[in-house]
Amino acid sequence: MSFPTLGEALRSRGVSRRDFLQFCAATASALGLSTTLAPRIAAALEQARRPSVIWLPFQECTGCTESITRAHGATIESLIFETISLDYQHTLQAAAGDAAEQAREKAMKDNWGQYLLIVDGSIPTGNSGFSTIAGHDNLSMLKEAAAGAAAIIALGSCAAFGGIPAARPNPTGAVSVSEVVKDKPIINVPGCPPIPVVITGVLAQYLTFGKVPELDSLQRPKAFYGQTIHDRCYRRPFYERGQFADSFDDEGARLGWCLYKVGCKGPTTYNACATVKWNAGTSFPIEAGHGCIGCSQPGFWDQAGFYQPLSTANWGNARTVGTAIGVGAALGIASAALARKRQRAAEGN
Amino acid sequence: MTTTHTRKPEPLEFDKPRVSIAKPEYRFDMQGEMHDAERVERAMKSFVKDFGRTAAIYMESCIHCGMCAEACHFYETTKDPKYTPIWKLEPFKQAYKREYGPFAVVFRALNLKPRVTVEELQRWQELIYDSCTVCGRCSLMCPMGIDIATLVSQARHGMFAAGLIPHELWAVTERARLEGSPLGATPKVFADRLEWLADDHEVEIPIDKDQADVLCTMSSIEIMKYPDSVVATARIMNHLGVDWTFRLDGYEATNFGLLAGNSAAQKQLTMKLIDAAVACGAKTLILPECGHAYTALRWMGANMYGEPLPFKVMHIAEFLAEQVHDGNLRLKRLGKSVTFHDPCQVIRRGGAIEAPREVLKALGAELREMYPGKGTNWCCGGGGGVVANHRADGLRYKTFKLKMEQIEKTGAEMPVTTCANCRQTFDDGQAHFKWDTKMHSLLELVADNLIEDEA
Amino acid sequence: MSLLEFARGPALQWSITIFIVGVLWRLLGVFLLRSKKDLSEPRNRAAWKGLRLIGLRSWPRREFLEGTAFGEVMGYAFHVGFLVSLFFFTPHVLFFADVAKGLLGTDLTGLIGIGWPTLPNGIITFLSAVSIAALVAVLVHRIVSPVKRLISNFDDYFSWFVTVAPLATGMAAFAHLGGYPYERLLAFHLVSVELLLVWFPFGKLMHAFTIFAARGSTGMIFERRGASL
Repeated sequence: MSFPTLGEALRSRGVSRRDFLQFCAATASALGLSTTLAPRIAAALEQARRPSVIWLPFQECTGCTESITRAHGATIESLIFETISLDYQHTLQAAAGDAAEQAREKAMKDNWGQYLLIVDGSIPTGNSGFSTIAGHDNLSMLKEAAAGAAAIIALGSCAAFGGIPAARPNPTGAVSVSEVVKDKPIINVPGCPPIPVVITGVLAQYLTFGKVPELDSLQRPKAFYGQTIHDRCYRRPFYERGQFADSFDDEGARLGWCLYKVGCKGPTTYNACATVKWNAGTSFPIEAGHGCIGCSQPGFWDQAGFYQPLSTANWGNARTVGTAIGVGAALGIASAALARKRQRAAEGN
Repeated sequence: MTTTHTRKPEPLEFDKPRVSIAKPEYRFDMQGEMHDAERVERAMKSFVKDFGRTAAIYMESCIHCGMCAEACHFYETTKDPKYTPIWKLEPFKQAYKREYGPFAVVFRALNLKPRVTVEELQRWQELIYDSCTVCGRCSLMCPMGIDIATLVSQARHGMFAAGLIPHELWAVTERARLEGSPLGATPKVFADRLEWLADDHEVEIPIDKDQADVLCTMSSIEIMKYPDSVVATARIMNHLGVDWTFRLDGYEATNFGLLAGNSAAQKQLTMKLIDAAVACGAKTLILPECGHAYTALRWMGANMYGEPLPFKVMHIAEFLAEQVHDGNLRLKRLGKSVTFHDPCQVIRRGGAIEAPREVLKALGAELREMYPGKGTNWCCGGGGGVVANHRADGLRYKTFKLKMEQIEKTGAEMPVTTCANCRQTFDDGQAHFKWDTKMHSLLELVADNLIEDEA
Repeated sequence: MSLLEFARGPALQWSITIFIVGVLWRLLGVFLLRSKKDLSEPRNRAAWKGLRLIGLRSWPRREFLEGTAFGEVMGYAFHVGFLVSLFFFTPHVLFFADVAKGLLGTDLTGLIGIGWPTLPNGIITFLSAVSIAALVAVLVHRIVSPVKRLISNFDDYFSWFVTVAPLATGMAAFAHLGGYPYERLLAFHLVSVELLLVWFPFGKLMHAFTIFAARGSTGMIFERRGASL
């Protein structure tokens, strides 16, 4: 059953006005907005025409879908999600095959210029056969869909930055959405996967204000990606005092000390994990005893290693050093030989 | 022939950022009729010949800390930064980097170290010759351990090759090379002197023996100015019953080739002594009370010769100390308080630090050390050819004040030294300042206080 | 590629390479030069004992102290602060351990059996600040002192800059100065270290190596003669 507005859809689900307003207040808070805006969010959401949302999955693992749709009980987030007119989503849709493709084409045609495009997974630019949907390669499908979109959400690190498929040596020539689409507003929502409330918060903001939220230099919403894990990490005092776990499950680890030494990339990773956390605020990797892997940063897979501390780097290897020694020695020997030659010549006269 | 050029003094530009080499007041001498380019070329070639691993290490090591200035008597008494010891080597350093260092090819290709100019060499004459006695205090101070003094000696080779040395040094070196002595103590003059000295003082002085255990040598300064030292040498050798001789084919121990930077002359003068010692089969060659004579033969002689010397080389003070140690030399008590002025080449640079002190002890003198003393003692200011270079007189007198203060502070009755050039410098300084203190010779003190056996 | 990725990756590889090439070029280019044997009779045969000059020259003789004490003290303040910050700060130690592992196949703990201790961040911060203060003091002295002003050149000032930059940027990164993005502060710090590495072989910073050669040479030559050390 389809409902014309979001408000009607929610009421039909038995969501009380009170609960709804509480949700709007929480959303305002999560977005860093004043809670006095909650009624405005409520009014906007209530009247919002359910936007058509087309979700294109490319070279992805379905992790983003899993994260966002993972609902332990009927949370408001999952309800919001369901009440969007999700016209094309491989995992959630009932249709398959030609019927699914026709539904997509119809939704695009009916809502041309107004639908929201969600993309997850990277786009291969190498052999177009690497990833196809119903015989169409990802690249042309994206271009076609982007042409009629009002805005695009690049969901997950693959769509935002290329992600794991783009890790060295990038055999499929995987690229991000931003590298393909240049003429539409793009909101990057990276993470491997992103936190559920981040996506609903972004959607809510878009629906409320009708435009793209404030983005950082990597086109991520500042509301959720404006601070580093490090700056909000509850273990920060241990970092400051120089108390580190040296290895997993050692004394320091058991005392909950800073995980810098076992590879935490918190200082250079922007995400909301340390505040919003995962599984409805249960925990996040550091709290569970594992360092942040930096999954919401570009190229996080190629930063020397998850268990290499941030201060180690791609300094080279024994071969580079060996070559340098060889070259340096050769130049030294040559210059000494030349000097001796000049000396002999000077003495000869 | 030397021509002399004078330029108007230009003041040091303290208020301007350091843009180029500061322009000291200078007057420079030139030898020969070469074009400027040729002078530079010859200097460069000479520098390249001189550079070796040790000099290169030093050239690479300077960190421009400027502490060497604090050790230099020329800087200490004038506070003029141009006398900073390592600054004396600046053209030398640039030449090294451009011609010989590991990055020389790059520096030349990109012209990052411009060629040394003849003007620089002319300006540097004063710094290398007038304001350096090669005393080695700077080498003792340098935190990097750079032997700046030796590098200055090496730099002088280039200056000589370019015909840019002080006139007096050029002249006396020529004299030494051609006549056998820088001060006119030719073999004939020496022989004549020895005759009347032997007569006047009733002392036997053997000359030109075919065979002798010990070859004694003198400096022209002693021969011409302090003939008592010649007598003293003879007296002591005879007293000890040493089989010794002077040789007219090798007696001049000073080496103005070394001071001027004329390596060929240096070698020639050195070889004379070596040949004479070999000719008479001497087992020991004794050098007189002289500083650079010691450096020239004791430390540089074998390298000039090309192989280890077939005889021992000793400074007269070392010889006397050895005799004291062996119990051969008994001396009357001097009964006076003395202070010892350490000749730089013998003590600090040469290593015979304790020898003079052992002799003074044997003389029963009350020794009051100066401060700074021994290895860190201040130079008399006249070594390294400076006392011969009259252009440098004013500067030298300034530095002499340090010595006068030092000596007076000890309250000793008599200052003693074991170098005739130091002695000469002290006499000149004494005259200039009308100072009441006279410098004495250790050798003469010993000779004057021998306990002669009843024969 | 972000500035941080560049700094942690290609910039680091190239700067380490240039450092190694330059240092070896300069050292071998000097050590392989001609050295004439000294044929004079030594006063002391065990010339190697002169190597003690390497330690001796670390402090001036009393007679020279008056004009040099300032420079000596400031020099040590800088060097001690700098070296302690470099070698005993945890993130740095991790870097060196990683390099050791890459080169030797084992980290240093495995190699020498004992750990490499680190100092508390507070001490590191204090010593880094002391180090920077000392550097500023010697720069002022270099500009104000007539001797140093005369003999100083581009190398002196640039070497000063590439030395103070890692200290200053390191402290800024550690303090997350001004709330600037940490990854950028960190990148600046790494780039400043890379600049130091690249300049190192070509300027006076090489004294870190040549000091042993120069002091050692003079020590042995002088010891042989019995000259004052």
